[in-house]
Amino acid sequence: MTALPLSAPLPGLDRLRADAPVFTAATLVIALAAIPLLAAHALDPRLIGAEGVWLKPLKFHLALAVFFATLAFFARWMPAATRASLPWRAFAALAVFCTAGELLWIGGAAAMGTTSHFNIASPVMGALYSLMGAFAILLLSPTLVMGISIARNRATGLAPALHLSVWLGLVLTFALTMVAASYMAQTPGHHVGTPVTGAAVPLMGWSREVGDLRVAHFLATHALHGLPLLGWIAARTLPDRAARAAVILSALAFAALTLGTMAQAMAGRPVF
Amino acid sequence: MPPEALSPDALFGLTGPLTLLGWAALCAYPLAPRAITALALAIPAMLSLLYAALVLSFWAGATGGFGSLAQVMALFDQPEIALAGWVHYLAFDMLVGLWIVRTARDRGIPHLIVLPCLPLTFLFGPAGFLAFLILATALPKRTSA
Repeated sequence: MTALPLSAPLPGLDRLRADAPVFTAATLVIALAAIPLLAAHALDPRLIGAEGVWLKPLKFHLALAVFFATLAFFARWMPAATRASLPWRAFAALAVFCTAGELLWIGGAAAMGTTSHFNIASPVMGALYSLMGAFAILLLSPTLVMGISIARNRATGLAPALHLSVWLGLVLTFALTMVAASYMAQTPGHHVGTPVTGAAVPLMGWSREVGDLRVAHFLATHALHGLPLLGWIAARTLPDRAARAAVILSALAFAALTLGTMAQAMAGRPVF
Repeated sequence: MPPEALSPDALFGLTGPLTLLGWAALCAYPLAPRAITALALAIPAMLSLLYAALVLSFWAGATGGFGSLAQVMALFDQPEIALAGWVHYLAFDMLVGLWIVRTARDRGIPHLIVLPCLPLTFLFGPAGFLAFLILATALPKRTSA
């Protein structure tokens, strides 16, 4: 019975496992764990506001699975010696441990029919919220560490503009998310103002009536996707100098957009 | 007539400590795999003996059945049958726990990683099983060839 047909081979999985075993395992566990939550979402009648209690946990599982898959993918451009080192592996395990804590907190709150973020209603929830803030910073910090490691790696074999866009995207994700999320964590909620009609952007749920701090948070976390994509296109279409200039300009524009939407939200104005 | 000491409530009280012992042992599995396997088989065996005795004695006189949810609920209205159902859970959940620790060892999954699956299986049976399935799917199999 031990010869279970589990761990089915997926293309590219072996590479990700070799480069970043902890992040790859985390990606799979977080993604698979969403399945029972999806089943709960189908059965559970409870709502938080206007949406089912399991919607928020599901969004976090999706987002964090994508996050760790991205980190596992970028790990190939860290020096092999760094990847194999004990400090890095311990750090990666710590980030995943913090993520497990976050997801248990978010899912646990949903199971109890209450909110996780901004919930300081009881001393326990208040203490948990602070702890989860610390955990969030820890699980974000691989972006900074990997960004620096990749930046200093002269042997990635990448076109210079692409190399630049990868490490700059990672570092930008760290810096902008720290700004956007830390600020939001200190406010009573993600809205600035009180919505009346509840009009929102489809899928994302961003308010179209009042300021919504989640827009900047979303843009910040996706710097590590957007900038490398841009860098890849630039490296293929432009000569080297121009490609790198394009990456730097895009990084500046992206940062401006993120901070701009944050200022917009803080002023109580909806994204559109 | 069976003595008071063998009433459904009294028997329920006996199963608690026995079950906890088995689960504590499973949590410590790597320390003594063979002895703990024997224990985690013996306790379900004893629980199964109790189950068999209850069903042989009280099934014929029970109302309800397995045909609908309402029939199952009627079945569990009777203390002896409810006890049998409970003992069924205890016995089989422990077997799942044993399977989890042994499968983890065979697949080279560190015991500390699967440890949370054990209390989960103890309290919420199938949820613990599902949690282990997810781990076993996500983590690579490392067999010492």
